[in-house]
Amino acid sequence: MLKYVGQSALRVDGVRKVTGFSRYTDDLKLSGMLYARIKKSPYPHAKILKIDTSKAEKLPGVKVVITGKDVPIRVGLYLEDKTFLAIDKVRFIGEPVAAVAAESEEIAEEAVSLIEVDYKKLSAVFSPLEGIKPDAPLIHEDLGSYKHASIILPQSGTNISNHYKIRKGNTEEGFKEADFVFENEFYVPHIQHSAIENHCAIAQVDPEGKITVWAGCQSPYTVRRTLATAFNIQLNKIRVISPAIGGGFGGKAGTTLEGIVIPLAQKANYRPVKLSFSREDVFTNTFIRQGMHARIKTGVTKSGRIVAEENKFYWDGGAYTEYGVNIARAGGYASTGPYDIPNVKADSICVYTNHPAGGPYRGFGMSEIHFAIEQNLDIVAHKIKMDPLEFRRKNALKDGGRTVTGQVLENVGFVECLDKTAKDIEWDKRVKKVSATKYRGKGIAGMYKAPSMPNNVGSSAIVKINEDGTVNLLVTAMDLGQGSDTALTQIAAEVLTIPISQISIITGDTDCTPYEWQTVASRTIYCCGNSIKRAAEDAKNQMLKLASLKFGIPENDLELKDGQIISKNYPDKKVKIADLAMGLTMPDGSGIHGPIIGRGAFIPPDVKDTDKETGQGDKPVAFWTFGVQAAEVEVDIETGEVKVLKVAAAYDAGKAINPELVCAQIEGGIVQGLGSALLEEMKIEEGKVLNPSFVDYKIPAIGDAPEMKISIVEVPEPTGPWGARGIAEPCMVPTAPAIANAVFDAIGCRINSLPITAEKVLKAIKEKKK
Amino acid sequence: MKEFEYLKPDSIKKTISILSQFGEKAQILNGGTDLIVEMRDKIIQPEYLVDIKAIPQLNRITYNKQDGLNIGATVTLNEISNSKVVQTHYPILVKACKTVGSYQVRNRATLAGNICNASPAADTAPPLLVLEAKVNIIGPTGEKIVPINQFFTGVKKNILKKGEIVTSITIPPIKGKWVGVYLKQGRKKEVDLATVGVAVVCIRDEVRIALGAVAPVPVRAFKTEELLKGKTIDESLLEKAGRSALTEVSPISDVRSSQEYREEIIKVLVRRAILQAKGGHIL
Amino acid sequence: MKHKIRFTINGEVKEIEVQPNKTLLKMLREDLDLIGVKEGCGAGECGACTVLVNNKPVNSCLMLAVEVDGKEILTIEGLSDGINLDPLQESFLKHNAIQCGYCTPGMVMSAKALLNRNSHPKEEDVKEALAGNLCRCTGYKRIVDAVLDAVKKGGGK
Repeated sequence: MLKYVGQSALRVDGVRKVTGFSRYTDDLKLSGMLYARIKKSPYPHAKILKIDTSKAEKLPGVKVVITGKDVPIRVGLYLEDKTFLAIDKVRFIGEPVAAVAAESEEIAEEAVSLIEVDYKKLSAVFSPLEGIKPDAPLIHEDLGSYKHASIILPQSGTNISNHYKIRKGNTEEGFKEADFVFENEFYVPHIQHSAIENHCAIAQVDPEGKITVWAGCQSPYTVRRTLATAFNIQLNKIRVISPAIGGGFGGKAGTTLEGIVIPLAQKANYRPVKLSFSREDVFTNTFIRQGMHARIKTGVTKSGRIVAEENKFYWDGGAYTEYGVNIARAGGYASTGPYDIPNVKADSICVYTNHPAGGPYRGFGMSEIHFAIEQNLDIVAHKIKMDPLEFRRKNALKDGGRTVTGQVLENVGFVECLDKTAKDIEWDKRVKKVSATKYRGKGIAGMYKAPSMPNNVGSSAIVKINEDGTVNLLVTAMDLGQGSDTALTQIAAEVLTIPISQISIITGDTDCTPYEWQTVASRTIYCCGNSIKRAAEDAKNQMLKLASLKFGIPENDLELKDGQIISKNYPDKKVKIADLAMGLTMPDGSGIHGPIIGRGAFIPPDVKDTDKETGQGDKPVAFWTFGVQAAEVEVDIETGEVKVLKVAAAYDAGKAINPELVCAQIEGGIVQGLGSALLEEMKIEEGKVLNPSFVDYKIPAIGDAPEMKISIVEVPEPTGPWGARGIAEPCMVPTAPAIANAVFDAIGCRINSLPITAEKVLKAIKEKKK
Repeated sequence: MKEFEYLKPDSIKKTISILSQFGEKAQILNGGTDLIVEMRDKIIQPEYLVDIKAIPQLNRITYNKQDGLNIGATVTLNEISNSKVVQTHYPILVKACKTVGSYQVRNRATLAGNICNASPAADTAPPLLVLEAKVNIIGPTGEKIVPINQFFTGVKKNILKKGEIVTSITIPPIKGKWVGVYLKQGRKKEVDLATVGVAVVCIRDEVRIALGAVAPVPVRAFKTEELLKGKTIDESLLEKAGRSALTEVSPISDVRSSQEYREEIIKVLVRRAILQAKGGHIL
Repeated sequence: MKHKIRFTINGEVKEIEVQPNKTLLKMLREDLDLIGVKEGCGAGECGACTVLVNNKPVNSCLMLAVEVDGKEILTIEGLSDGINLDPLQESFLKHNAIQCGYCTPGMVMSAKALLNRNSHPKEEDVKEALAGNLCRCTGYKRIVDAVLDAVKKGGGK
């Protein structure tokens, strides 16, 4: 019987947050702090001829001015293609070319305006479809010499920074076997994470050269590693501390501002330097979601079996794709969505453009490809006159099914999710016409997602038992709002059999908390959770050993229960955790063992690279998460407005460690997905972002939230803690295609690009009437 | 934000004298919800900011049957929405005020500010146009009253001259039964700027129509009104009215909407607003 | 030129000198260390900086510090007494109406203002009152539930 895992414990960070006590990076005020600003490029693609910083340097109150030559080393997570300040050339509007640290923000701002830069404009690329043409201007001439991970395949002399291929079965044969072949195209624009906290970083260098960085970041250790490379510093000489994080969604997964404040701080005579981004800066100078063009060719039999699929995804990676290249890879190994298709040819191609840098965004490519996949599926279902739900059931991945990489799956809860969602949205019932101008429709969409990460990256945890038997749990998985602090604490509580209130979780300090690769990929509960489970078991085993010595009873006759070790056979033989916390005191007064510290480490087992030419592999990912959403919408046929009335969702969480927080995550994902479906698009013209603020980049507000019905399915993942899988990102993946399919159901029009604005819908209605 | 001198006169007389003295260098601070953002973005950089919120007579709403409604310059949109007399006599104005920004913004933003800012998309402008509001202005040369449809002179431009301030807005009484409707189309239902705003007032056989966000200034659709005058409203007339309204405006494409979509929405909203004001249902 | 202003902040009278070009938000955060007040956009679009001035919610980024002379301000720091939480805060906790917590102070203050002016708000009233407070994490449902539940528990006195 589980006591803490599976319970909806209240958030452990709740009181701090509801009182406004939580400290985010911009809340930190250090003595002697200097304030930084960046000088930005006005051109999407240009050679830097000359930078004159002399006037800025002379301005009273200015302490440091730096340019690209101060940060010459290229860095990047999967592909080392960027420097923190532009060198020789700029590749997007807004790219930092210089930075200033001054006594106040106002002075820094003025100083930046005094920096003079001469540019020579170069022709630019604004779409991946343009970028792949042989005569397209080259954005990274030296791509061939950039260092990269083995799983990434950049093509020297082109704008293609990664090309992931899937060659499963034989598509030629497959299409011959098909009774019908359909081709469809889809487009997903750039969007921005829009966490309410803007990015901020502070750096300070001490007299021994040790650097401390404070930044709300999803990945303190990966940030540390990147910074160490960029500044050629030993890892022990750099400390990354992440205060509270005001939302991430991938936007705070990389290293950006940190690489600008450090070189400023290195010249600031030990004074700390803070760089706060405005909302406008966040839109152009932090990661945005990559744009994507999709072409899908589907071969299907009369009976509704998909026998072949040919998919092409062209990713608009923006000016730097150090992180985005792996999104293209993820798009490749998931390229057909959660369906079992015997013959697949897929090409997922990441292309440089002169747009702001693309990067991880909740879903890591899955929202984009599923918008195409799940609408395509609906189109095909309607063409062959099959119910879209039935069509999905028929082709769904089930136990024993094979993914596009040839991986055989077990423990698949997808069909259960389809059924649950269909029931909750009342799939069989339709009220189509509510009035002369209001039409309703329902749409469904499935998804799957795996953590996209290097195979061998690890997590670790430390469980420190305090003198009184309470526990400090140390990890570097970060709570960005998703509730990991709470769920991870529950995992420790379950093993240690003590109440959550007796455990304090400490995160986000590379000098104190143990290694964690990153808080991304919906991997925290699974990876960090497993390491915590092991750390707590390690602590428990140490105590069992001591109790065994104390009572002279074999360890396997003892158990840890309600915070004490007790004999299974002699209930009066028991000792509290507190009495073993510092080791065991022997009858003669001597002590043995010493304080109990449990350690746990985890790497997902048996995950291996796929073949570079075919993309085939037995286990390219740690696990798959399946989910389904269905939406009911109402369309005003005179204005084209779409209102989402209801969304039903079901996810296979394997085991929900905290069911209420799982539901809360799903609700948040639905509304974020709804934003991407109906409202959100970075309007970029010739490389210039026209709507870099909430005035013209609208995200959902309270009135946009639909009625939501959430279900959790639990088909355990054998390698997860108590069977748990990650669900954080999957929550927003199927929302947009479900809404798009519902719009079609309502009015018979397909909107093949996001967002589904009233304007597009009205245009489609008018065209259909013609 | 650039440095400036903050002045807070407690009388209209002092305000006019400050404004006359500093001219272009001075800017009135009322609700500040547009001004402070523009100053932050360095779009405008006044040297003197003249806060008019300490002038007692500007902060009143008065109503009587003979003169109608008078709303002082510093009365906020929420004060208008919450005012019993406005709710009773001019519900269209309440509706329009409530579509401006968020609740927080409406606690600061004012009706006078909304029109002085002279955004083509100002939500309160179309209702004021159909209510034939009058803008009360005081300046160095004395008082004057300007009909609202002469107040706007261009995008973000109004008729005010050096040293002049708007003291209040008067909405004359309307005799007999009448119904007013304001319909707004935005990208989303709440806290958004209008891509098209349409106000309609029906007074017996008279129909007044005004449109926002579809021309350099908010406009009355006089020709369309003429077309409808005294006629029985039916579907074909409504359609004609929509098409006619289109000829009286000049919508553009911008980041919020294309010209084509604005044109479609003008037709729809004009039709719906008339229908609703005539007591019909919007389907 | 700095202006001397006097106001009540979270029940305490303060007199300080401020530059006119400083927003209320910056004064609260920088001069009074009331860092529970958050900046999310600086343009009145997100509501994270919401505080009550004379009992009315305003975006503190859209108000100058000099304008609060003689006024009464309540921020999230003044809502609980350090021992007991406000019923609204309790309700946000109980309903998991919090995720990253960055919008929470503004959200709670907007809700507080609503309950101050309307002891029995309906769902539509909650939505109207909170329309200017953006939250990217929660999907809002639990926030609505939390406010309505606080009303039931007598939070709307």
